[in-house]
Amino acid sequence: MILELCDDAGEYGRQALRAFSAAGGDELVQQAETKPEVRETLVAAVLSDLGAWDLEPRADPNDLEAAAALCRSAGYWALPYPVAERLARPTDLDLDGLIVVSDSAPEGAIGGLASRWGAVTLRGVRSRAVSTAATGPAFTVALDLTAIDTAGVGDVGLALVLPCWTLLGMLDRAMELTIAHIRLRKQFGQPLSAFQGVQFQLTDAEVERSGLEILAKHALWSLAAGTTAVDDALALRLAAIEAADVVFRVCHQLHGAIGFCDETTLSWLSRYSQPLRRLPFGLSATRDELTRRLGRHGLAGLFS
Amino acid sequence: MDLDMGEAASSLRINLRRLVKEHVPADFLGAFTDNPADLEAAQRFCRILAERGLLCLAWPEEFGGRGASVWEQTVVREEMWAHHEPRGAQYMGVNWVGPTVMRYGTKEQQCQHLPPIARGEVIWCQGFSEPEAGSDLASLRTMAHRDGDGWLISGQKIWTSYATMAQWCFLRARTSKVGEGATQKKQQGLTIFLVPMNDPAIQVRPIRSMMGPHHLNEVFFDELRVTEADVLGPLDDGWSIVQDVLSFERVGIARYARCERMLVGAPAAMGERWELLPDELRGRWARMLMHCRRARLLAYQVVSLQSAGRIQPADAAGYRIAVTKLDQDSAEVLMEIISTVPRDDAATAYFRAEVEDHWRYSQSATVASGSIEMQRILLSRALLATGA
Repeated sequence: MILELCDDAGEYGRQALRAFSAAGGDELVQQAETKPEVRETLVAAVLSDLGAWDLEPRADPNDLEAAAALCRSAGYWALPYPVAERLARPTDLDLDGLIVVSDSAPEGAIGGLASRWGAVTLRGVRSRAVSTAATGPAFTVALDLTAIDTAGVGDVGLALVLPCWTLLGMLDRAMELTIAHIRLRKQFGQPLSAFQGVQFQLTDAEVERSGLEILAKHALWSLAAGTTAVDDALALRLAAIEAADVVFRVCHQLHGAIGFCDETTLSWLSRYSQPLRRLPFGLSATRDELTRRLGRHGLAGLFS
Repeated sequence: MDLDMGEAASSLRINLRRLVKEHVPADFLGAFTDNPADLEAAQRFCRILAERGLLCLAWPEEFGGRGASVWEQTVVREEMWAHHEPRGAQYMGVNWVGPTVMRYGTKEQQCQHLPPIARGEVIWCQGFSEPEAGSDLASLRTMAHRDGDGWLISGQKIWTSYATMAQWCFLRARTSKVGEGATQKKQQGLTIFLVPMNDPAIQVRPIRSMMGPHHLNEVFFDELRVTEADVLGPLDDGWSIVQDVLSFERVGIARYARCERMLVGAPAAMGERWELLPDELRGRWARMLMHCRRARLLAYQVVSLQSAGRIQPADAAGYRIAVTKLDQDSAEVLMEIISTVPRDDAATAYFRAEVEDHWRYSQSATVASGSIEMQRILLSRALLATGA
C-alpha cells in the first residue's frame, strides 16, 4: 500500500509552489481581482514553464498525481486561474477546459478568460460554455450552454476531484497562516497558542484538513482504477466542503478581526475558496446526490 | 498511489470471515455479556484461531507467530472488531502484553506467559488507571514497598476491564517516591509487575455501567506479595515500558470497521422500511460512510508510518480524534434509523441489539485508551512545533 504521491509528483508540486511564489505569490490574485481580463496573462508564463498543459491526467496515472500536486500548489497561492478545470479537459473534444455544472444554474469561475470551455453535468451531458454576464465575485460567471452530446459521464470524476485538490491547497495555507498568527499574537501576556481553547480549535481544523488530504489521495487511486470514480469523487467533494467550512471558520476565529482585512492573505483565500465550495453544488446538494447514487449498496469499502 | 493491501491480506480477510460465519453464533454481541455462553464462544473461537496460527500471526516466528505483515495485522483488527471482537479479551494479550513480554521479559517470563497467550488460554487485564491517575497516568499512588527480597503492593486501580475474568494483571506501581534517590520526576520510580489475579490479596469489585458487565471494575491490592521474578523490565523504569506498550496500540481497535459494517448492513436489515426513512436521515447515513472511509484511510496512514519506523506520538492523534467521533456519530445515525421500527419487530431484532450495543459502547470512545483531549493536546503540540 502506497499512501503518498509518487516522488516525481511531490517534487513537481514543490517546484510549482516556488514558481508561483516567484511569479508574484499572493499579489497575483489581488492584481487579477481588479482586472479579471489579465488573469491569463498573469499566470500563462509560469504555467507554461511548469509544463502544466503537457500533463495528461486522463491518460497517465503519474500525470494524474502531478496534476493533483499542481492544483494543490495553485490553491496554496489562491492562483487566479482555473488550473484544475483546464487540466480536466476531455480528450475527445476540442476544448481547453471542463467545468462540472448543475442542471439548474450553470456557473463557473472563468470570468475574464477567453479560452474554449466545456461543461458537463453529473449525468454526462456535455456542452460548450460561454459566459453570459459580467464577472461576479471570485471570477464567477453564469454560463450559456450549447449541448454537444451525452457521452461525458466518464469526464465527471476528474473534473470533480482536481478542484478538491485546489481547495486542499487553500486549506494547507489557511492552517499555516493561522499557526503563524497564533504563535505571534499575544493577549493577556501570552501567545494565543498557549491557550488550550485555541489549541483545540486548531486540532479540529487539522483533523478535517488531514482527512480531506487522505480522501483526495484515495480519489486519485479510484480514478486510476476507474470503477467507482464518480461516487468516490462526490464523497471527496462532500468531505472537501465540510473541511473547508470547519477550517475557514476556525482560521477566521483565531485570526480575529485582522483576518477579515485584505492585508491578510486569509481574507483572500477565504473569498476565493467560495466557487470551489459552492459550485457546481454546495454541501446539501452534494450529499443528496451522493445519497441517491449510493442507494442501498453504500460506498465501496470493506463491506460493499 | 496504491491502496491495495495485497493478496495475502485479501485471502486472510476471506478466511477470517468464513471462520466467523462458521464458528461465531449468529446472535453474538461480544464475549462480555450476562450470558456465560458468549464468553465460552469467544474462548472456543480463540482456540480455533490459535490452531490455525491466526491468533498471534503478527508475532515473530520464534515465539510461535507467523511474522505477518502490518496489513495482515490490520485485516485481523478490522475483521475482529467489525464482528464484535469474537476473541473476547484476547486482543490485549496478543496485541501488547505478549509483544511487551517478548521485548522486556526474562526467558522464564517468556516461557511462562507467551505460550498460554498464543494458545488463547489466558485473559489479561491492565492495571494502569487509578482514581487520582486517569489521563495523568504518572500520578498513580499504588505503592510497592520493599519487603525482604520482594515487595508488598498496596493500592487501588479503577476502570480495569475484564478484571473479574482475568488470570493475570499487567500492573504498574510506584517503587520509588519522587525526590528519593534518582527519582526526580513523577514519570520515574514506576515499575511493571506481572501478577496473578487469584491471589487473595487482590479484590475485584465490578462497577455496574451502561457499557455492560465486565467492562469496568475496581481492583484493590492489600499487601500483595511479589518477588523479583514478577518484575517486567528494569526497576523504576516502567514509564518507558508503558510508552512502548502504547506504541503497539497506536491504531488501537478498528472502530471504523464495525461502524462501516453496520452502516452498510442497515439497508438490508431494514428491508422495505429503508426507502421510507426521511431523506435527511439517509443523507446522514451516506455522510457517515464517507467518514468511515476517512477514518480507515487515516488508520492506514498511521500503520504505514509505524511500519516505516517514522511514527511520532502525535501522528496517530488526528486519526484517534476522527475515529472516536465517527464511532459516536455513526451510533447516533444508526440509533435513529432503528428507532423508526417497532421494538417488537422480529426481523430487525438482532440489528437493533447490535445498534444499541454499539451506541452504549461508543459513548466511551472519546474517553477510553487516551481521552480525546489528550489526543488534541498531542496534535496541537506537534502542529505548533513544526507548522501545518
